[in-house]
Amino acid sequence: MLKNVNKSAGVALSMALMASVFAGCSGSNNGEAGASSEPAKASPSASQSSSAAASSSAAASAVPAGIDTSKKVHLQFYMLGNAPKDLPKVEAEINKMAQEDLNATVTFNFTTWTDWDQKYKLLLSTGQDVDLIFTADWTQYQQYAKKGAFQPLDDLLPTAAPALNDFVPKDMWNAVKINGKIYTVPATYQEYVTNGFVWREDLRKKYNLPTPVDIPTFEAYMDGIKKNEPTLQPLAIGSDVRGSLNDTYLDVFRKKVGALPYGMFASYDKPAEMTSYWGSPEQLEDLKRFKSWADKGYFSKNELNEKATNQEKLVNGTAAAMLGDNPTRFNQTNGNMKSLHPDWELGYTPFAVATGYATPVHPIHNGFAIPASSKNAERALAFYEKMVLDKRYNLLTQYGFEGTNYTVDGGYYKMVGDANTNGFPREGMQGWAWRNPEFMLFEPSYDGVKAIFDQLDKVQKPDIYTGFAEDYTEYQAERSALEQVEKQYLFPLLAGQVKDVEGGVKTFMDKAKKAGLDKIQESYKKQWLAYLSESGIQ
Amino acid sequence: MKIKEDRSSVWFQLIAHAVVVAGSILCILPFLLIVSASFTSNASIIRDGYSLWPKDFSWEGYKVIFQVPDEVLRAYGVTSTVTVAGTAIGLLLMTMAGYVLQRKDFKYRNFFSFFIYFTTLFGGGLVPYYMLVNNYLKFTDSYYALIWPSLMTPFLIILMRSFIGSAVPDEVVESAKIDGAGDFLIYWRIVMPLAVPGLATIGLFLALHYWNDWFSSALFINDTAKYQLQFYLYNIINTSSFLTSIGAGAGIILSEGIPSETMKMSMAVVVTGPILLLYPFVQRYFVKGLTIGAVKG
Amino acid sequence: MPKKYGFVQELIKNRTLFLMLLPVLAYFLVNNYVPMVGIYYAFVRFDFNTPLFRMDFIGLKNFEFLWRSGKLTELTYNTIGYNLIFIGLGNALSVTVAILVSEVKSKWFKKITQSVLFLPYFVSFVILSVIVFNIFNFEHGVLNTVLKALGADPVDVYSKPKVWILLIVVFYLWKSFGYSMVIYLAAITGIGEDYYEAAKIDGANTFQRAWHITLPMLKNTFVILLLFSLGTIMKGQFDLFYQMVGNNGLLYSTTDILDTYVYRSLKVTFDMGMATAAGVYQSLFGFTLIMVVNGIIRKINKEYALF
Repeated sequence: MLKNVNKSAGVALSMALMASVFAGCSGSNNGEAGASSEPAKASPSASQSSSAAASSSAAASAVPAGIDTSKKVHLQFYMLGNAPKDLPKVEAEINKMAQEDLNATVTFNFTTWTDWDQKYKLLLSTGQDVDLIFTADWTQYQQYAKKGAFQPLDDLLPTAAPALNDFVPKDMWNAVKINGKIYTVPATYQEYVTNGFVWREDLRKKYNLPTPVDIPTFEAYMDGIKKNEPTLQPLAIGSDVRGSLNDTYLDVFRKKVGALPYGMFASYDKPAEMTSYWGSPEQLEDLKRFKSWADKGYFSKNELNEKATNQEKLVNGTAAAMLGDNPTRFNQTNGNMKSLHPDWELGYTPFAVATGYATPVHPIHNGFAIPASSKNAERALAFYEKMVLDKRYNLLTQYGFEGTNYTVDGGYYKMVGDANTNGFPREGMQGWAWRNPEFMLFEPSYDGVKAIFDQLDKVQKPDIYTGFAEDYTEYQAERSALEQVEKQYLFPLLAGQVKDVEGGVKTFMDKAKKAGLDKIQESYKKQWLAYLSESGIQ
Repeated sequence: MKIKEDRSSVWFQLIAHAVVVAGSILCILPFLLIVSASFTSNASIIRDGYSLWPKDFSWEGYKVIFQVPDEVLRAYGVTSTVTVAGTAIGLLLMTMAGYVLQRKDFKYRNFFSFFIYFTTLFGGGLVPYYMLVNNYLKFTDSYYALIWPSLMTPFLIILMRSFIGSAVPDEVVESAKIDGAGDFLIYWRIVMPLAVPGLATIGLFLALHYWNDWFSSALFINDTAKYQLQFYLYNIINTSSFLTSIGAGAGIILSEGIPSETMKMSMAVVVTGPILLLYPFVQRYFVKGLTIGAVKG
Repeated sequence: MPKKYGFVQELIKNRTLFLMLLPVLAYFLVNNYVPMVGIYYAFVRFDFNTPLFRMDFIGLKNFEFLWRSGKLTELTYNTIGYNLIFIGLGNALSVTVAILVSEVKSKWFKKITQSVLFLPYFVSFVILSVIVFNIFNFEHGVLNTVLKALGADPVDVYSKPKVWILLIVVFYLWKSFGYSMVIYLAAITGIGEDYYEAAKIDGANTFQRAWHITLPMLKNTFVILLLFSLGTIMKGQFDLFYQMVGNNGLLYSTTDILDTYVYRSLKVTFDMGMATAAGVYQSLFGFTLIMVVNGIIRKINKEYALF
């Protein structure tokens, strides 16, 4: 009895502690008007430099008229990936300029690739000091924007970053809108990350095989490789059979409009005709084809457990082809291969040859947003404008210091030393989002990619899929359960490891339906059609 | 009697040796594979897989790591500092707690043991913890963020409690109390020397925990100068698995290039090498009966 | 019998002991108890711009995905099954080896083998999984290369779910037994030499001494290891399962545990509520189990109980 009393006293004490901690939390989270709490929150480096900068704070003449820069701020800039070694030097130089131009300093933070998605989520959901953060379709920009993780920029842009507002074309601003608001500043550099066939060209020549341009010719190529080089694996897929086999296959063979989830299918030509690919005769046909590839030994029986990357396997001569890679990565793989095996070579045919169209990256693909918790939205935007439009900022943060990190040679970028010794390789800060086409420098090897891009430009059509922001709150539980079913029952089918394909599909569909597939598909289709009519796509 | 004893003892020794040798071989093989792979060229690993002896000898992995050695050397410094400081503080606090919790005249020992144990069952998850360390304790980018999360675990405290309980007879404490020694003095002068094997074990585990930690760096450190050593290994591994998992559609090309298999293995060797020496060092404290005799005498 | 003011009295009487315990209590209070408010995430709809306690309360909706796929029973069964095997075999193996090592007479042999047996602890599962793939890979794996050389048919290990029960257990034991072996070794070291001397005089041989003295003296340590593993029986060893099996759905029927399931399900959803919900389920399970087991142990021998 007595023991219980003491126990509950202890619990009450800890509850009280927690309550006080949490009261503090909600306070600072609400702190839009939190100017009073600002000094306490400022990081040590900010307070240090603020005293140093007090004298020069008057020099704010270069600032856009719209914003007040009398108070010095320190910005926290977050980018994905690993920081380049020379980052401190670049940061110091940028700070010198930003101090003068905007009365602001900045810290460039990098999440690294270790649990980056976890960290990204934590940064946005726990009210950290983040003023600028990278966004992309693959970082779930649409979802985060929809859920209120970023600040709308519509009203800020004309005052805080007027030049940037004009620089980015109107249709790009429109394209990144989620629920009618702009939440990210898109990159304006137009590139293609669409897929194409990649294969060992030297072997193709050697055995006089057809050039892969579509699935039948690709099959013939693989067949020829299997016959002539029995120890070489014709096709590298890797453990992501959904992404590197099924999606790419549907992309080129059935002209799927984008990576629609939940087995939904719509072709690019008729996006409004949405059907379920799962359980359809088409799916059965495709699965049987994958199975025949597996049976013929085009890829490994253990593809689902493969540890090496496809590119590595090609470069080192353990695989001959890939069903899909983008032009830039193909070019890199080819370069890596040539440095190891000068007499080998890779070939590339964009899927556009078979499908008749190519979509340049959607503006959502690379961008920077201002998280809801940022207290320096105006200055952050003004700073970002500098990063994109001021050549000094841009070149420094893309290529490092001219002379130490790179030189310009005949209009081309030339790295000093190699990637291991150079403290700031090309685009060392992963600055995809603040690329400015006017300032960009390329390596000579990139000409091959440009040639492909030129070819694709001729058949370009807009990406109509990425702008769609799905709202899955309604079927969140079903969605998670379905993901599991897909991995357990569909992946082995894709990898051609289920003997009875019909039976396998039946089991998969049964399980998927039990997980709530119908509800998901129905709701998704409704949203998709609404999106199409809203954005005027037929 | 003497003969019988000898025969069984010979058998025992024979079995013991056989089992231990077999076990040791099984344990050392994969390790040799890793070391061998770290000296093999990347192309050969991808092509031929692992082997006990490098098929195509190469230093390339180590060369990449030590070409610009500042990062790794600095990380050695960070990890060593954190390991030494964290182990020292954690060990002191945990032995005190372990000692108190095993004192039979301490009435609330069960309640407090439960208080500590309970935290292994329930947790608030990553989000509140991240907020605690970053927003309230404000440990971001400091050594505190690396030391604090691993400072003590319920398991090691309870283990310490049990070690002290069995190593220190109650009579010893009682007689010291009668001599007028205070509780802290008893702990410091009598209990600590008696519990040396326990201290060595717990200290070893705690030190290993600190040495192997990379998660704290992943969560709380933005300043590359404060990354732990293990984090470099995990970051190399994670960078390549990220590149595998991200489709072509993301269009990601890393300027720093893809870490090679050789480099992963070399980094694994560089990262684990030094800590392997810790165990043999700790072993010397696992000597039977030494301490008991010393105190009793 | 304690009076009403028992706690205060105790506090005064044992103030040094309380002071010595205080840092640890404070640490756990701050580090573990305060963040427990986050458990509430399991019952709300997450929202970026609302403080936790003002988010919409949605009851048990976040738990729904656990039974949606109809796999909860299977997952619970797998998770517990594996953990019981791990606990049973793991302790048996590490006790046996610890006793053997401690009895070995040759000093240098003892030293070297102890270190070597501890080595696997340092090999990360990521790297181990690569090695395992190199051994069992159908086309180029070491196993099949040997089989083919012997004229036998190659086997596809990665499509045989049953085999993986064995493999997972073996790899678990391989990697983790060194750790508990060291604990047992330390405990053995703590056993007074006088017990053994007395037994020797009574004519007990090595086997008998191990059986009648060493083993019983390790009971206490065993109970601690047991209770700690039981408390987290629904969690644990995520890396082992995730790295070994990865995307291979063919093996999920026997190798999917709650942690891997939750990880896969939530990777696409980014939902804090659901992740917390899964944790709460695991915790409640462990909590119930531990209260029962500790209660039983208390009944048998009060000394051995954890609390």
